[in-house]
Amino acid sequence: MKIESTNKVKRGLAEMLKGGVIMDVVNAEQARIAEKAGASAVMALERIPADIRADGGVARMSSVGVIQEVMDSVSIPVMAKARIGHFVEAQILDSLGIDFMDESEVLTPADEVNHINKQNFKAPFVCGATGLGEATRRIAEGASMIRTKGEAGTGNVVEAVRHMRTIINELNEVIACDENEVVALSKKFRAPLHVLEEIKELKKLPVVNFAAGGIATPADAALMMQLGCDGVFVGSGIFKSGDPAERAEAIVIATTNFNDPKVLAEISKDLGEPMVGINIDTLSEEEKLAKRGW
Amino acid sequence: MKVGILSFQGSFLDHSKSILSIGATPVLIKNEADIYDLDALILPGGESTAMKKIDSYLKVFSVLDDFIKSGKPTLSTCAGTILLAKEVIGGDTTIPNIDIQVTRNAYGRQTESFEGSVSFYDNNDIYCFIRAPKITNILTDKVEVIAKHNEEIVGVKQDNIVALTFHPELNNDKYYLNWLDNFIKEGENVRTL
Repeated sequence: MKIESTNKVKRGLAEMLKGGVIMDVVNAEQARIAEKAGASAVMALERIPADIRADGGVARMSSVGVIQEVMDSVSIPVMAKARIGHFVEAQILDSLGIDFMDESEVLTPADEVNHINKQNFKAPFVCGATGLGEATRRIAEGASMIRTKGEAGTGNVVEAVRHMRTIINELNEVIACDENEVVALSKKFRAPLHVLEEIKELKKLPVVNFAAGGIATPADAALMMQLGCDGVFVGSGIFKSGDPAERAEAIVIATTNFNDPKVLAEISKDLGEPMVGINIDTLSEEEKLAKRGW
Repeated sequence: MKVGILSFQGSFLDHSKSILSIGATPVLIKNEADIYDLDALILPGGESTAMKKIDSYLKVFSVLDDFIKSGKPTLSTCAGTILLAKEVIGGDTTIPNIDIQVTRNAYGRQTESFEGSVSFYDNNDIYCFIRAPKITNILTDKVEVIAKHNEEIVGVKQDNIVALTFHPELNNDKYYLNWLDNFIKEGENVRTL
């Protein structure tokens, strides 16, 4: 007996990525640098979020050529992004045999009402969330992994921290509540009742929860791990910095040793320039990627 | 009983849950100081390339190698099995201790990952194979086959080491936990070399 693409197999890959770092890359060379630095997966993109932000215009799924180039160059799992609601981009990625798909607010949304029905695909999905309601809605649609939205391409961790704290506080509210309160909390968070019931039973989210959006230094990665996330995505923070290979490696070590300030101090030495950050309050509402998705 | 679990990256917390549910104490191994007074060792699934890289900084593999060679019970799953194999196709050897050849990502990408029936000793159950390696050759007759998926070898034992390519820690079924409990306790009688 053999069944592929079950929920358990999809969520299982996310379990294997835990404690690791998933890095944005735009070509085979960067993918190999990431793999060598100890990335547990790479995200194949045409442009990293900081450049998408700077260039403006419509951001779409990366070209198939870039994605295949990255898939052919490394032995670790390869992820790629589809626009929110763009189920045909997801169909294309699925047919390429991608290991994981990210229905991502970093790209320009294709549907302002509906997210992709993620149950229909062979590859698992990761989705961004700013709070428990959004996380549980994505899980109900079939997401096998959740990440904070943060504010991608800014090198500013403040939004990722806000989203992580919100998710954890709301999770704790559900876990601690009286069973008669679950329906009211489901209304309060606009969270599907069956997912909240699963959370109450497991005393945690039913899927892995990573940090993403603005992580630029080993200390940022360790901060997110200490706040309780299962691993980190690093986008622009690596290949927009002075020495990408060194920084990538340092962030990997920081994610494993997040509780050891001595190690964190040692690996933070001589790292070169971090990416230049952006203050969130200088961004207009339309420029905030975390507002995308619902 | 204290069971060390290599905790660089991967499914180490799932193994930790298995250990707690058989009443033993899990110790998350992140540096050399954690490998002290352990009764058994688990090398979990995850990405073997990432674990190797992390070890180039934390340097615990050589100490784990001594521990494994001392004869204490050692269990590996998926990527952990790649770390222990004497021959690796599509990767490098790391802590070679078991006389098998493994091929990394042998089933293909994630879309080829599956839940499949496994006969593990005398029990049949369904377990997850996630971007799993295959045991593509057995190099000496010291290796005993203990688990099969259809006709494929998915678990072997050599002296104190059990190496699996699937993920029993994602099931934590009764049979597995009972086996794990016995496997760790048997270690008390293992002769120290």
